[in-house]
Amino acid sequence: MRLISSKWKFSKLEQFFLLRYINAPKRNLMRFSFVFMVSGIVLSVGILSAGLNLFEGYEKSLKDVLLGSFPHISLQDANSEYFSKERADQIIQKLNKYPQIASVTPSISYAVMASNGDRVRGASLNAYDFSSGSSFPYSQYITQGSHRVNNGEAVIGKYLAKELGKGIGDSINVFYPRFDRISAMGLFSSERNFRIVGIYSSGYYENDRSHIICSLSDAEALLNINPSFSRLELRLDSEYIESASVLANAIQSDLGIDIVAYPWSIFSAGLLKLVAMEKWLIFIIFSFLVLIAGINVISAVTTIILDKKNEIAVLKTLGAKPKEVKGLIALQVGLVGFFAIIAGQVFGAGLSILVEKQGFYRLKGDVYFIDTLTATISPLNQFVIFAVAAVLVAVCIAYPLKQIDKMQIMDLLRNR
Amino acid sequence: MQCLAGYSLSKRYIDSDQQIQVLTDATLEVNESDLICITGQSGCGKSTLLHILGLLDSYDFGRVLVRGKEISSSMADAPKIRNSEIGFVFQFHYLVEDLTAKENVALPMIIAGQSSSIAYRHAIDLLSKLGLSDRQNRYPNQLSGGEQQRVSLARALINSPAIVLADEPTGNLDPKHSAEVWDMILKLNRERGQAFVIVTHDHKSAKLASLTYNLADGKLNLIDHDTNPSGVISS
Ligand SMILES: Nc1ncnc2c1ncn2[C@@H]1O[C@H](COP(=O)(O)OP(=O)(O)OP(=O)(O)O)[C@@H](O)[C@H]1O
Ligand SMILES: [Mg+2]
Repeated sequence: MRLISSKWKFSKLEQFFLLRYINAPKRNLMRFSFVFMVSGIVLSVGILSAGLNLFEGYEKSLKDVLLGSFPHISLQDANSEYFSKERADQIIQKLNKYPQIASVTPSISYAVMASNGDRVRGASLNAYDFSSGSSFPYSQYITQGSHRVNNGEAVIGKYLAKELGKGIGDSINVFYPRFDRISAMGLFSSERNFRIVGIYSSGYYENDRSHIICSLSDAEALLNINPSFSRLELRLDSEYIESASVLANAIQSDLGIDIVAYPWSIFSAGLLKLVAMEKWLIFIIFSFLVLIAGINVISAVTTIILDKKNEIAVLKTLGAKPKEVKGLIALQVGLVGFFAIIAGQVFGAGLSILVEKQGFYRLKGDVYFIDTLTATISPLNQFVIFAVAAVLVAVCIAYPLKQIDKMQIMDLLRNR
Repeated sequence: MQCLAGYSLSKRYIDSDQQIQVLTDATLEVNESDLICITGQSGCGKSTLLHILGLLDSYDFGRVLVRGKEISSSMADAPKIRNSEIGFVFQFHYLVEDLTAKENVALPMIIAGQSSSIAYRHAIDLLSKLGLSDRQNRYPNQLSGGEQQRVSLARALINSPAIVLADEPTGNLDPKHSAEVWDMILKLNRERGQAFVIVTHDHKSAKLASLTYNLADGKLNLIDHDTNPSGVISS
């Protein structure tokens, strides 16, 4: 439509017919020859837009959970597995001068095993300071039970709880094979019993399958270490998250080579880029559906030209220029196409919401990182879909119209 | 003053290794307020000649002049001249099916760039002169053949063309409707001085014309009504 109207200003004749089309849509727009064209456009644009809505939703959920449940920058000792408490305090002091940092949380994280007596699962132990006055940055993901974890208690991931058949109030054993104490009996492992007080569910499958969150002193006892931390977890104010790597570089040079600063993007940017690329790949592939639907547009325009041979001849006889005659048909089919594209987008939105709400297909968390499908209807995407579909439809309208230039009045009149 | 002329027009159709020489040396001059009839046997090329004069078809040799200016159907300003100087009435009315009578009549004026309200005013005026004021909002398929042909005539007249070309305008009509259309043509010719070139098989009506030509062997021959009162052509 835009393409057509920008090429020339509507002549009086085109205005006249445009008004006719709009005032008598039944006679002019709802013709049988448009049925296949309209259904083709609605279906293809619908699928294109549903696909993009779902992919956009996936990208957004993945990014949200990556940024919500992982540190934006994490600081680790370059030479040892742990920082001492004093060292950590010094670093925290130094970090005070960065206003971009919203919180610094010292933590211990370590790979352990969890068992319910007969089943054993690999897990990751994550210990934080739950004493009053300190904040636990991921409490939004504790979906059931307590947000505070005392000694002897643990919050565990949703799928870990499911696999071990445990719930709130039950207890699990966590053990850690100690390679420094190998005896004649085999590996000596240190073991500890936790009462489950909460369920952690972030939507990020790997964490929900492995997280065990406990207090610092429990972790120190289990791992047999002095009060110390394995890392400092920095969370940034939202406007600085995208530039975390710049800040990480600044902190790195500030703190010297004994500390390593890892921005979140080191672990996740590649993944997010891949997802974004897949999204546009899907878009391009589904755009071909619209192109295929364009074949119906071509045949609708061709049918109209055949249907209206006499009319075209009459208009030419009465002095209409070929350009105007083409404009009239383009307007008519273009209007139908315009409404069909809009209807397709509405259909696509409905389709993606339906997929989101349905219960029988879930994402495989171990493949797709997250396990819930959400649809995001972004105005930018809708605009891009509209623009691409409109251009494809416009081309498919313009192409067969070219034959009108070659049609002589007499040829049109003779084979009536 | 001369409004339309065709000189030494020739046209041949080449149709799968068969050649049909339809016009060889047809010459016709039309002056203001002329009413000219062309008769001739079926297939002799009357329609072809009229289409060439109406800038709807091409020709091989010769010249066509509209108000003294040479022009052919392929020239860039042909559409404009078709619109403003020539009114064409087809044998089969060829109205636009999706437009009402009034809108059909208004079309040439809208094509000329006039606003539709002004065009409608003229269309309504013309339709009532042709006795169709109560039919103006009907679609072509709701009109009789004679009514459709009169709507065609109104459409040919709306831009006050220099000349109206009509190809057997009453060919499909019964005598009553045929007489209606002829009356209209004669009245317009008398009252407005509107020039017409009309192809007809109807020799009685042809006699009403100021000049009658017979087309034979690709040439136009003037028929003298007085020496040949029956209109029968003896070659
Ligand atoms: N496109 C064409 N190709 C080949 N021959 C054609 C073509 N158009 C017309 N003719 C031939 O040219 C001749 C003249 O046709 P035209 O339609 O001008 O006749 P006409 O005098 O109007 O006949 P009628 O009185 O039956 O309407 C005819 O013999 C016809 O068969
Ligand atoms: Mg004929």
